[in-house]
Amino acid sequence: MFLRIVKDSFARQARRKLLTAVALALGTAVATATLSVALDVGDRLGREFRSLGANLLVTPQADTLPLDIGGVDYRPVDAGAYLQDADLGKLKTIFWRNNIIGFAPFLDVPVALRPANTSAAAPPGVAAPPAASSLSPITSPSGGTPAGRATLIGTWYNHAVQVPNGGGIFRTGLSATDPWWHVEGSWFADDAAECVVGASLARRAGIAIGQTLQVNAGGLTLPLRVTGIVTTGGQEDDAVVAPLEIAQRLSDHPGQYRRLLVSALTKPEDAFSQHDPSAMTPADYDRWYCSPYISSISRQMQEQFPAVEVRPIRQIAEGEGRILTRVSALMWLVTLAALLAAAVAVAATAGTTVLERKSEIGLMKALGASRLLIGAFFLGEQWLLALLGGAAGYAAGIGLAHLLGQQVFGVSPQWRPILLPVVLGMAAAVATLGSLVPLRGMVQLDPAPVLRGE
Amino acid sequence: MTEPVKDLVVQAELVSKTFGTLRALDRVSFQVVAGEWIAIMGPSGSGKTTLINILGGLDRPTSGRAIVDGVDVGTLGERELTRYRADKVGFVFQQFHLVPYLSAVENVMLAQYFHSVADEAEAVRALQRVGLGDRLVHLPSQLSGGEQQRVALARALINHPKLILADEPTGNLDQANEDLVLDLLRDLHSAGHTILLVTHSLAIGRLADRRIELAHGRLAQIIFNVDENHKAVQEHS
Repeated sequence: MFLRIVKDSFARQARRKLLTAVALALGTAVATATLSVALDVGDRLGREFRSLGANLLVTPQADTLPLDIGGVDYRPVDAGAYLQDADLGKLKTIFWRNNIIGFAPFLDVPVALRPANTSAAAPPGVAAPPAASSLSPITSPSGGTPAGRATLIGTWYNHAVQVPNGGGIFRTGLSATDPWWHVEGSWFADDAAECVVGASLARRAGIAIGQTLQVNAGGLTLPLRVTGIVTTGGQEDDAVVAPLEIAQRLSDHPGQYRRLLVSALTKPEDAFSQHDPSAMTPADYDRWYCSPYISSISRQMQEQFPAVEVRPIRQIAEGEGRILTRVSALMWLVTLAALLAAAVAVAATAGTTVLERKSEIGLMKALGASRLLIGAFFLGEQWLLALLGGAAGYAAGIGLAHLLGQQVFGVSPQWRPILLPVVLGMAAAVATLGSLVPLRGMVQLDPAPVLRGE
Repeated sequence: MTEPVKDLVVQAELVSKTFGTLRALDRVSFQVVAGEWIAIMGPSGSGKTTLINILGGLDRPTSGRAIVDGVDVGTLGERELTRYRADKVGFVFQQFHLVPYLSAVENVMLAQYFHSVADEAEAVRALQRVGLGDRLVHLPSQLSGGEQQRVALARALINHPKLILADEPTGNLDQANEDLVLDLLRDLHSAGHTILLVTHSLAIGRLADRRIELAHGRLAQIIFNVDENHKAVQEHS
């Protein structure tokens, strides 16, 4: 009988019900769109942020204090501890391995540079450089000295790493951690005697693409062909960036590196992530461990490499956290505003409906209907409207999210069917919220005056 | 020694009701036994509808006691009052008061639903008893005034209430429909139902066993129609 009454009643006052459904549809459409984007924005912005640089720094625990002045590592090559590059595949075996989108090992070597002797032999294991044509002498900024010192930064550009336990090949290096570095010319090949030269150094020393440099360290001289001029705005602008293997040969540390930069997709830091994991309850620890906080990913990396120290690059992590939090807050605010507006519209139409149905409500009370039942009749209709309006709003919201995503990120947000029940629930909540005041008047209605026609 | 009154359905004891400064009912007392048909009469504003509303649990007395079937209506809480309305009384209003979007049979089932469980077959039988077997699925707007009032009567009776409260049930009807409704009320009375009927019409009032006349909220007089009719017959002869 309940459904029969609600169904029969629902067919009446079509115009007003249409208005309510439209209000709910508009509210839920905006909510669907903003929620779709908000749920995607973390991943999307995270990836955008990751293109700006790594957010984790890995160094040996036993390392000496770095002595880095003007981009040059002045520590003796033999000072400090080193890590093994053969172990790096393990990074892709941690719990949040899919969030590790790239890493690059670094080994800085102070070197002396001079123009190449075109007859120089290629070092063993490194491809021979092509003959340099118009080599200019390397000069100091004042232009007089034909040789200079610089730091050679050994790293990977796009290196194939074997992931243990049948994890396949993972390609990583600067192409993954620092894709925004601008190179005029081209990047070096990781297995060639090639390098790129920092823009400041190249300008100062008159180095051009295609030249071959003789790079000397610890009594070993290697010829490196310059494939590009790199601009980063950092210390690399004054350095030579070459394959890691070159740096390892020059420093006589085969298979080793000194620091590792890791780019990981992370969840913005929040109050919970700031807690000390060692003081957490087991349940909280599990929750923390299974959330992609930068701190939990650091912990998991440290478990794989006990001899290293993993440090989040705080400026980046915190900056990302702030931006993500603000963007998310904005999205939630817009959602809330849209739903509140819908609730106000629902309240207006519901108020008029109650006024018009006073005698019917009074009659039901006179016949022995409880307040609860009368409220349920009314809410039943409102929820039916919420179902229709919410479904229409969801469909419209998906389209709106597509437009928003294309405009803001150039990519449509992922379609999430799970949002449909959430949106329908929100529509029901909005319909209920908008009906509260009219509902209160309805259940408190005194039937006697109403039935007298007052 | 006075014999106790059996099957007392209504006991009004010094019932008063005020609305602000207006005294709608002023210490009204009377009793109604089971199976009686009482006509409540009086000019407009004399408190007839207020009295019916108090007995029907739609209003509460300001003072005094209104006891129906042993229940002091004025002391009931909201939930008990709701239950009381569903169980003890059946209302018939001058304005019919049918739910406009429900069919005739659904309007009757509505009262069943509020009482316990809707039983369509029983609702159909109730409508057949009032001569509306061919109007079951009609909406109120598709029924004449008399038909609507008969639906209201069927609805009032469906839960077998102890007391039928009819507030000017023929006030909006033409003569033919008025006769139809009054015939039904007569039948109900014959069947032993207790009826309290508010009317302005002396002719209708005379159909009842007694007439309770109110004036300015006070009980003016109670007239036993049997005595009056007997007296009239004697005078005539």
